[in-house]
Amino acid sequence: MTTNSYVLLSAILFTIGGIGFLVRRNVLVTLMSIEVMLNAVNVALVAFNRSMPKAHTGQLFAFFLIAAEAAEVAVGLAIVISIFRLRRSVRTDEADLLKN
Amino acid sequence: MLKFLTTLFPTGDFALLALVLGMPLLGAIVNGIWGQRLGKKAVKTMALSAMGIAFAGAVVTFLVLDRESSQHPGHHVKLSWLAWQWMRTTGAREMTVPIELKFSVDALSGVMMLVITGVGFLIHLYASSYMENDKAYWRFFAYLNLFVFSMLVLVLGDNLPVLFVGWEGVGLCSYLLIGFWYQHGPNAQAGKKAFVANRIGDFGLLCGMFLLVHYTGALDWSGIEQGSGSLVSQADQMQVHLWPIGGGQFQGFLAFLQPKTPLVITGATAVGLMLFLGCTGKSAQIPLYVWLPDAMAGPTPVSALIHAATMVTAGIYLVCRLSFVFVLSPFTMAVIAFTGAFTALFAATIALVQNDLKKVLAYSTVSQLGYMFLGVGVGAFTAGFFHVFTHAFFKACLFLGAGSVIHAMHARIHDDVKSQDMRNMGGLRKYMPYTFWTFGAATLAIIGFPLTSGFFSKDEILFKAFVNHPVNPAAAHMGAKAAEKLWQQPTWIGPVLWAMGLATAVLTAFYMSRAFILTFFGDFKGWTIGKAPASEHHDHDDHGDHGDDDDHHHEEDLKVPGAAPHESPWQMTVPLMILATLSLAGGFLNPGLFAGLFKDHKPPMEHWLEPVFEEAEKAIQVLPNAEAAHHKEYPLTAAAFAAFAVGTFVAYQFYIAKKGQPAKDMAEKAPGLHKLLVDKWRVDELYDATVWNGVDALADTAISVDQSFFDAIIARLTALVVAALGTVLRVFQNGVVHVYAGAMALGIVLIGWFVVVPRADVSTRATGNGDYVLEAAPGMGYGYRWTPEASGKPQDDKFSPASTQLKVHLDADKTQTVKLEVKNAFGFQASREVTLKGPTSEKPEKLGSVDLPSDNLGKN
Repeated sequence: MTTNSYVLLSAILFTIGGIGFLVRRNVLVTLMSIEVMLNAVNVALVAFNRSMPKAHTGQLFAFFLIAAEAAEVAVGLAIVISIFRLRRSVRTDEADLLKN
Repeated sequence: MLKFLTTLFPTGDFALLALVLGMPLLGAIVNGIWGQRLGKKAVKTMALSAMGIAFAGAVVTFLVLDRESSQHPGHHVKLSWLAWQWMRTTGAREMTVPIELKFSVDALSGVMMLVITGVGFLIHLYASSYMENDKAYWRFFAYLNLFVFSMLVLVLGDNLPVLFVGWEGVGLCSYLLIGFWYQHGPNAQAGKKAFVANRIGDFGLLCGMFLLVHYTGALDWSGIEQGSGSLVSQADQMQVHLWPIGGGQFQGFLAFLQPKTPLVITGATAVGLMLFLGCTGKSAQIPLYVWLPDAMAGPTPVSALIHAATMVTAGIYLVCRLSFVFVLSPFTMAVIAFTGAFTALFAATIALVQNDLKKVLAYSTVSQLGYMFLGVGVGAFTAGFFHVFTHAFFKACLFLGAGSVIHAMHARIHDDVKSQDMRNMGGLRKYMPYTFWTFGAATLAIIGFPLTSGFFSKDEILFKAFVNHPVNPAAAHMGAKAAEKLWQQPTWIGPVLWAMGLATAVLTAFYMSRAFILTFFGDFKGWTIGKAPASEHHDHDDHGDHGDDDDHHHEEDLKVPGAAPHESPWQMTVPLMILATLSLAGGFLNPGLFAGLFKDHKPPMEHWLEPVFEEAEKAIQVLPNAEAAHHKEYPLTAAAFAAFAVGTFVAYQFYIAKKGQPAKDMAEKAPGLHKLLVDKWRVDELYDATVWNGVDALADTAISVDQSFFDAIIARLTALVVAALGTVLRVFQNGVVHVYAGAMALGIVLIGWFVVVPRADVSTRATGNGDYVLEAAPGMGYGYRWTPEASGKPQDDKFSPASTQLKVHLDADKTQTVKLEVKNAFGFQASREVTLKGPTSEKPEKLGSVDLPSDNLGKN
């Protein structure tokens, strides 16, 4: 498999994640979409790293990203819980406190 | 001792002046900043010692000056001290004029300095008791010290800008002290009035300064004197064109405004009139005198120091200081003399009928200041200045005496207005002998009782007004024919001025005697309007003027007899006695009448001031000649004495022999005139109707323009546009996270587009002679390739990031199309073609004119 295929896969995953993020209204699904996008980036990083075998930059970045994702999910879920407490709902279009 | 001092302080670097100037400033700073915490005793000590040391320094300075001038007779000796370079300005012929913070003392300023510190010290001493019970004791003394400092800066400044600093400083202190009891509305109003009237004058002074820099190229006294020649120049471009303004020409339909001969005045006249406008503000002359009577709202020591003895004489000081400029224009001299004489007469008529003791003194001050201007206006600078000197003593004494009387009246009447009303006084002679005698002595001086100081100074002014005749000094330097065109004063001016002065003398004698009689003679009328204080023997000292009244203004039973008025404490009577002595004896410094008794027929004061006025007095002729004028002196003195005698006798008849009945009868016979005089000729009302209403109308116009144009159109329209934009933008701010995320995604796509798609842009610059430089717009990771002839081959096969420029030469009338190709990091390409036109070939008739090549450029 060439690097191109991996990058293509990454691009497809990123697009799916992005569309999911823009289209879905459920906060949990939105979070999951963000995860998909981040992991698409991970795939791309690792794939690029493969074409430069001596360097480990891509892999290292991927690890950092995984750590950041963990933190992001923790914070994201906390926000989701507080939104749910406030609004009794996990739909993003009902979380419009900023509006007025 | 003096020799030691002269070696310590050479004449060119006389640092002792710093002490004289610095002590009052120190007092002002210490009392102003820490006064409230220091307590009364410390404040008093600070203020008095500052003034005492300044006075001692002034005396030493004066002695050194005396020693120097006796060693260099006939010279204009000056002790100067340069503090530091202040700034620079540009004067005549683009020359740089340094403005130094420099102080100097000569014969003229030396006398002023002694008067300011000496009388100032006495008044500080007086005020330390008079103001005893005021809550803002410290504030009062801080202001008073600051005033003395500013006045010294005014007098000792060696150039006009430094004088101006002092000039403004005394104006500020005057404002602060007039409104000292600012809790009472009218007092604050009076302070404002004084400030505004002075500002009008200051405008004139500033204009005068600008003109002087322009003409003489200097602002210090000796520099102005040296450069004053160009002030009298008759050359057209050296004169000030009044009409048409600035020397232009009216053309077209405005041609009827063009006069046959343009209205021009010499620089000397312009400078003189402008400076004199400043003097009318500071020295309370018509038309700016209106602030001085109102200034009596301040505490009485302030009236004595600022509004009688020192600050108001600053205008006369300025005229004396720049006498050599003023005499260059006989017209200005005539204006000064007539303004002075008219003010003197005018203010005296108002003073005839005033009932407020301080108001009488205020108008008499205006009148006496008019006298001084009459003196300097006819070129009798020594006489005018001598009147400043004597007036400082007797008017300070009168005001302090009035303060003492008011202080005593306060024991019975706890009302500021009633306690100053002479109708409530009378018979005070019995209760306050010191005040009576000192007030009497000063009254004798002001009405011109023979051999008192006022007699000599007034007599000298009247005599000089009659015989002096300022002539245009320019006449001597030009042919007889040209000289005829110059404006010279007609000879009738002298006698007219003299007559006005004499009439004023009669009125002065009358109203001052009236005030003296009403206050001290007859029966005390306060019995019926005062009330006994609660305790039998009252602590008198809590009856100073008071603004922060706590318990004073309770309902008073004005019928019951109570405590008698009382003499004031020693701090108040001692200054009175010293000033009274000086009022009586001070005249012997310059008894013009007995000039023959002195060496060179010059009394001490005239001898002392001679070098200062030497230059100016060259322009003063004596009519018909010196010998004949000398013979007129005794008859004229007799007339002055007669004026005094008539005025005093009429006052005696009116108010002692007939107990004021004739005054009442006259008031009833001519109620209109009497009312007019009581209302002070309704000048304030006139100003209200004209100036005040004019300014009001202007302000109203400004308001309506502001409201209907700026507010309505500009401000509202701007707000409307912003609001409309906001309404549009609000649609996007809907609080839905998805919309925000979508906008973000859209933005990322647009930025990506910008990065990925290349743009080719060319700017063209013509460097002349058909040479052109083409430059490609930069971009991230761009490489460029040029094709000079679009149809031909590219310069290079490869795209190079370095080749951003292309130079092209075109012959005349040729066109060429250049092609630029751009390739970015993603391998995308873009191109652009530019058509260049060569310069048009020159046609014979347009020889020498070069068309701008950039106009001929075409882009596609």
